[in-house]
Order: sequence, then C-alpha cells, then structure tokens
Amino acid sequence: MSDCRIQLTINGQQTSVEAPPMKRLLDVLREDLDLTGTKEGCGEGECGSCSVRMNGELVNSCMVPILQAHGAHIETVESLAIDAELHPLQKAFLECGGAQCGICTPGMLMAATHLIAHNPNPSLEQIREGLAGNLCRCTGFIKIFDSVITAAAMEGSRTHAR
Amino acid sequence: MPDAALYTPTAIIGSELPRIDGPLKTSGTAMYAADYHFPHLVHGVPVTSTVAAGKIRSIDTSAAEKMPGVLLVITHDNVGPLFRMAPGGHDGRTSESRPPLEDDIVRYWGQYVAMVVAETIEQAQIAAHAIKVDYDPSSFNVSKVLDDSPTEELPLHTESKRGDAISAFASAPVKIDQTYVTPAETHNPMEMHATVAVWNNPKFTLYETTQGVMNHQHVMAETLGVPRENIQVITRFLGSGFGGKLFPWPHSALAAAAARQLNRPVKVSTNRQMMFQNVGHRPRTQQHMQFSATPDGKLVSLRHDYRNHTNLGDDIHENCGEATPFIYSVPNLLLTSALVRRNVGTPTPMRGPGAVPGLFAVESAMDELAIALKMDPVEFRLKNDTLTDESNGKPFSSRHLKECLQLGSEKFGWSKRNPKVGSMCKPGDPDVILGWGVAAASWGAGHGPCQASVALLNDGTARVSCGTQDVGTGTYTIFAQIVSDRTGIPIDKVRVVIGDSALPPGPTSGGSTCTATVLPAIAEATDNAIKVALATAATAKDSPFHGKKPDGLAFHEARVHLEDRPASTGTPYQQLLKMANIDAANGEGSTSALNSNPEARKYSTHSFGAQFIEVEWDPGIARLRVSRVVSVIDGGRMINKKTAENQILGAVVMGIGMGMLEETIYTPKTGQPLNSNYADYMVPTHADSPSIEVHFIEYPDPILGEYGARGIGEIGLAGVAPAITAAVYHATGVRVRELPVRIERLMQSTVQV
Ligand code: FES
Ligand code: FES
Repeated sequence: MSDCRIQLTINGQQTSVEAPPMKRLLDVLREDLDLTGTKEGCGEGECGSCSVRMNGELVNSCMVPILQAHGAHIETVESLAIDAELHPLQKAFLECGGAQCGICTPGMLMAATHLIAHNPNPSLEQIREGLAGNLCRCTGFIKIFDSVITAAAMEGSRTHAR
Repeated sequence: MPDAALYTPTAIIGSELPRIDGPLKTSGTAMYAADYHFPHLVHGVPVTSTVAAGKIRSIDTSAAEKMPGVLLVITHDNVGPLFRMAPGGHDGRTSESRPPLEDDIVRYWGQYVAMVVAETIEQAQIAAHAIKVDYDPSSFNVSKVLDDSPTEELPLHTESKRGDAISAFASAPVKIDQTYVTPAETHNPMEMHATVAVWNNPKFTLYETTQGVMNHQHVMAETLGVPRENIQVITRFLGSGFGGKLFPWPHSALAAAAARQLNRPVKVSTNRQMMFQNVGHRPRTQQHMQFSATPDGKLVSLRHDYRNHTNLGDDIHENCGEATPFIYSVPNLLLTSALVRRNVGTPTPMRGPGAVPGLFAVESAMDELAIALKMDPVEFRLKNDTLTDESNGKPFSSRHLKECLQLGSEKFGWSKRNPKVGSMCKPGDPDVILGWGVAAASWGAGHGPCQASVALLNDGTARVSCGTQDVGTGTYTIFAQIVSDRTGIPIDKVRVVIGDSALPPGPTSGGSTCTATVLPAIAEATDNAIKVALATAATAKDSPFHGKKPDGLAFHEARVHLEDRPASTGTPYQQLLKMANIDAANGEGSTSALNSNPEARKYSTHSFGAQFIEVEWDPGIARLRVSRVVSVIDGGRMINKKTAENQILGAVVMGIGMGMLEETIYTPKTGQPLNSNYADYMVPTHADSPSIEVHFIEYPDPILGEYGARGIGEIGLAGVAPAITAAVYHATGVRVRELPVRIERLMQSTVQV
C-alpha cells in the first residue's frame, strides 16, 4: 500500500506526515513526530495507555488509522504543560502519588483532562466512570482519584483545559 | 533486640516527599525502553508457535523474504551463536535456560519459532504472518490437576521439619485437612517487554525493560558470547515489572542477534498476547494442608505439602513454604514440595513469589481451623504468635505481627463482628450481606552486596549513582533523600543517576531488597564524599578552615563548619571546592550481603503485616465486591511515606485481582493461554478499587542497616487473597479453596437475606 499525505494539527501545531493509510495514529505520534509521551499498553483498545484527544473526543490512538485523522486536531500529553509550567492535573498527579511507574500516566492524564473539560467538579463515581477505559497496574487507583479531585479543586484547572 | 546502632535521620527521612521524577513522568518525557529511536532503526516481529508441543518440520520463509521492507528472517537455521548460561555460575540469572531458536523442538504454545526484521513495524508484522511453519505436533499436558507423583527427576523435597507432624496430626483433637489451589497468573505490567538493541562493533547497547540492568548485562554477555564490557544495558524508566522483568527473556537475545547480523538498531517489543506466553507467569500451585490444634487453640501440628507447575526445560520452584516454618509457634511441622512439568511458558517470580500463594493456603487453613475451634481468627493467631523463628531457633530481628493484628482490629472495628455466617448486613441496605475476613502477612527481608558513588559538586549540587533501577517504586526519590539527609543539600539539587549497567554495580529490583541493599552504600559514599570536602576545607589556601584538623570540622546544611559551632557559621561547601579548584568531592561506598555479617546471622529477618477485608455479597444479583480494606504493615522504617503507601495500595488492589479476577487459562484443547488480553484476563480497574486504609507500624530494623528499612514492594500483596476468601465464607458460607473466587461457586450459598 502506498503512503498517503496526512494533514493534521498536533497540539496546536499544523503538521503533515507521509504514512501508510492504516498506520496507527499511535505510531505516527511516536515514530514520525517523536511524541513518545503517548504509550502503548495493549494495541487492542483495552487499556487506555494510548489515550489522546481527537477533535475534542477521547480516543485510543492505537485504534485510529492515520487516514481517519486527516484534518483532525489531536491533543497529546505533551500539550498539557505550557512553557514548562505543569498543568494542574500533572501537578496533582505528581503531588498525590497518582503516577507510580508512570507508564499509564500520560493516557490517564488525557482521560482526566477530557473528564474535567466536561465536568469541572467530578464526583468519585464520575471519576471512576470517566477513567474506566484506563488501566493502571501500580497504583490501585486510589491516588489517581485523589489526583483528579485535587486538580479539580486547583484554581485554573478549568480554564487551562483546552 | 539486636544491639546494632540505629541512626537518627533528619526530617526528610520518613517524609511524604513526592517522587522527584514526577515531572518527567507526568509530562511524558520519561524515557522507557520502547521510546528510544535511532536513525536506521528497524523492527523485529517474532513468530510464535501455534502448537504446545512438537517438532518443527519446516519453516517456509520464501514469501515473507520477498515482501517489501523485509531485511532478515531468523529461524533456528540462521540465528547465529546464542549460548546457554554455564552451570554453577551465580553471577547472573536468566529466565528460560534455552536460548531462543536453539533447536526445532516446541515445548509450549507461544514459543518463538522465527523472527522477521523489516524497515517498518507494519512490514515486519505482515511478513511475520506470511511465515509458514509446518509442525509435527506431539501430545502435551496443561492439566490443572497437579497430582503427578514425584519422580526421580522431580523428587519430593523436605524443606523444613521439626517434631513429628504426621503422628501429632493423627492424634490431635481438632484438625483441618484441605487442599488449596492458586492459578497461573500473568504479571501484566502496563508496559510490554521491549528491547532496542544497538550494535556498534564490538559493543552492544541494549535499551531494556528490565528490573536488573547488571544482571541483564551479565546474562546477555554469556548469551551473546561477548565480554561484559561490551554490553551496556540502559533502563532509565520501567513501566513496572512485578517480577516479570527480573531476568532476561528470549526477545532480548533475538533483538541483539538481529542487530549484530544487520548492523542496524533493532527494536523488538512483545505484544499483549505474548505477555501471557513467553515472558513468564506465576505458576499454578496445589497445596495440601493438614493443621491441628488443642481445643483451647494452641497449634499442635502444621503439614504443608505443595506442587507447582514448571515448564519442560527449567526447574522453577515456587517457594510456597516461605513463611510456613516460622509464622506461628508449633512443635510439629513438615514442609514438603515437588515440581510437575507442563507444556507452559517459563514460570518466573511474581510479586511475593512463593509466599503469596503459600500464605493463601496457610492463612486459609488457619481461618478454617479457627472456625473449627469456634475461636475468633484474630485471637487464634495472637495465641500462636512467636518472637522466635522456630525453624532455626533464632530470634526475629523485629517482629510485630501481634501489633499489626491488634491495630488492624481496632481500625477495622473487628470487635463488632458477629462470627455467624451471613449474619451481618450492609448498614442501610438489608439486601447486601457483609463478610469480614482477616489474614496475616509476611515476606522475607534482607540485602545483597552493592556499590554506589556520590559526588558533591562545586556548583552546589550532588550526584548519586548506582547500577540499579527504579521500577516505579520510588528508588530515584529515596536515593536523593539519603544524600540530602546526610549533607543538607536540598533535594532538588541532588541528581540521581541509575538505570545503566556502566555505573557502580547495583542490585536487581526484586525481593523487596533494593532499598536495604543500596541505602548503606549511598550512606557510606556520602560520608566519604563529605570527608573529602572536609579535607579540602582544611587545606585550601583561602579557606577559612585552612590549617584546621578535618576531624574538628563538620558538614551540615550543605556547609562546612567547626564542629562546635552551628552550621550557619560555616561556609558553603561549593565555595571551598572552588577555592581549591576542585570539581567534586567524590566518595565511594559499598554494602556487603546481609548473610556475610555475623551479627545479622544471629537473627531471622522478615516483614509482617495483617490484612482486614470486608466484602459485600448481594445474593439477589449474585454480586461480590471487596468494599473495605485495612492493611497494617510492619516493614521497618519507611524512608518515604508517600511512595511506601503507594506500594501497599497497589499491592492490595493486585491482591483483589488475585482473589477475585485473575487466572491465566491454558485450554486443554490446544494448550494455548486462551485469555491472553486485558478483556478476557481481568485485572482490577477503577471500579474494583475499594476504600483502603494503610497503617505502618514503624520499628526501624537495626539488622538491615542504620536506616532500618526493610523494603515493602511485596508484603502488601501477602494475605489479601486469604482475607478475601475468609470474608467470602463469613458472608456466604461457601469456602473457596481455589482462586479466583468465581460467582458460580457462590451460587451454592444457602445464606438468605
Ligand atoms: S494501547 Fe491503545 S488501548 Fe491499549
Ligand atoms: S503507574 Fe504504573 S501502570 Fe499506572
């Protein structure tokens, strides 16, 4: 299959890549664009490690052929910090112990960003539901709940989430 | 109480300092093995066997070789030299003794039979599908029943013995005679195993998912047949391992072999399915327990006879009797074990290996015996507590199981428990029955040898380095805490360099021994660096301390000062180094193995704990949930309360997985691990996570070094599963002796709401 040219906006930056049409968005991010913050945990849509936002929706980037992302706006974990100033969610995850080994963290942060963008003050049940697609094998999840609650309480988290 | 000196640290030890690597992890800039890319990097995709036993008749690679981008197809015909580890060597442990593709025999489903290397991952994947392997299949055995009789090749081992457990049991008044089973479990760290191999003749650089950079270096040197100095292993960050990444797996050798053949960097990553096949698992165990007691609840005899499955080529022993000989006081004890062979991938340690499945059996039997005695299960354990390890007569260096049980009872509200099965309802919800269970926990403590270096630099920072790694536990952070504790250099000015086999030899992150191993070496290296700084202060020409005796000087708050004057009167050390035109005050330190210390050999060293668990059973809809946990841990001094609590919380939830969800199922039809994905092999999710309270009983253990820290990566998982099944019995009247608890079993409950 020959490569196709895909235009997309990544973290606010317009980019174009040449890639086979069925190449996964995950691999385009990691290999072609050197954005290795997005991780692969299963490649089967089951773990959420590869979560990114695409046109404002939370997607598993391992399940998105790059052809489908043509013209899309993609946000990855690399978009959260602005000028090295961490996003409230990032601060909360690191303060509360929401990140242990850290491999699920980028995906978890994107799911949490998505949740807070829609619901600035989520309840514990809403957090459980909002992050249901994201597995973590280290934390036991409790500190992840604390992190999201703390971030939601931090001023500016709502306006910061784009 | 051992008469070794404990040291009084500053407030940074035991604080809730967040991880110093948190900014890298939360920003996505921490580099894990699979994140490394190099110019001209190519991708290897292994082909795995689709039979569980047999011989490869032929492999047709012709179609694959012609496919676009394909550079190399490796089979056992052309893999090149990959060697076995020499027997008797103790300086490196591999997982599967057979190097990949060594012969044409298939011993388990999912064994590597070939690997395709291509320019892109997609090309390699498509070509891997085009490889045609013709097998001559033979019969295989993945039976779950581990009743095989011991043989000459796999004999019965007596691991511990005292008194006469057999006749004592025969004549004892109250007894339990039951068999308990734990299934094969898959570690399933979120990060899949991966190797990026770079060959720069004659040197290999391997970016690895390993819990032991030094061990990986040693094993790969022997496997590839090159001197150690030609292998450098890098693991800056690891997406967790839980034991599954302790020892090298075959993909690493394949990646290195391909890099050598092609002279290009090669990346090989397992996929999630392979995680269930060829990178280890916790083996299935079957444990026969005969416990007896006097009518007033004093243990008379303990007999523990267990089997675990292993693969066809390696004798991997799951040490289920780890805690049995010492956890309780009992005059008659017999502990025996044997292995049985199955056509499964190679078992490997998984968090709390041996002790965790072993304690499921021990603590389940204790619960059943308590019920037979009509005794409270906490009371029963307290009655049989001991401060002497009766297997060797040695006192414990620090054992507070009693306090764990007592504090746990208090925090959990155990006194409100009605022991009658099915008698407790969820407050406000009479349709839901509560079950309360308890179990004791234990895990060994110790440390190995290691070296570390510390540099106090003339820019006011410090650097500490050791050839170990942070597997997600907080190693980076506690190393910085130790240097900061001893020097007063602020934590954000301490750089921790680990995850590289070129550094001073450090330990594998396994067995909860890394902390106890490295801390003394870092402490000594720091103190030696301080000595250099003091000597510099005493000799530098413009130093205010010029001509003073170094031993009249002290180092605190990052300053050198006169010993009898406060630190605030001193001079920042970096100024003194600059005056002398010295870049850094360097110090080296080392730890020797615990068992080389005669004082330590007088004691039995273990951590202890108690798990209290509440389950909710809704018989109307057959729903079982763990709703509340209190976990009390006696693990010596906690260096960092935040990362320590993280470890216990994560372990408890992993225990909920072990108790309620996890089993790798090998289908008897083909021998394939059938549920080899996250949808079918269920790990706990956000929804499964209950309310968990963690309490540490902090008695620094002086035998484990002056900080008295024992390591806590594993203890939190011990005891969780038996506390769950005890709680399930209390709620439903159904005793589950084979994990995980399945709803089908609970349908037999006759408890009515
Ligand atoms: S890697 Fe995409 S969902 Fe797991
Ligand atoms: S922090 Fe390790 S998987 Fe979540």
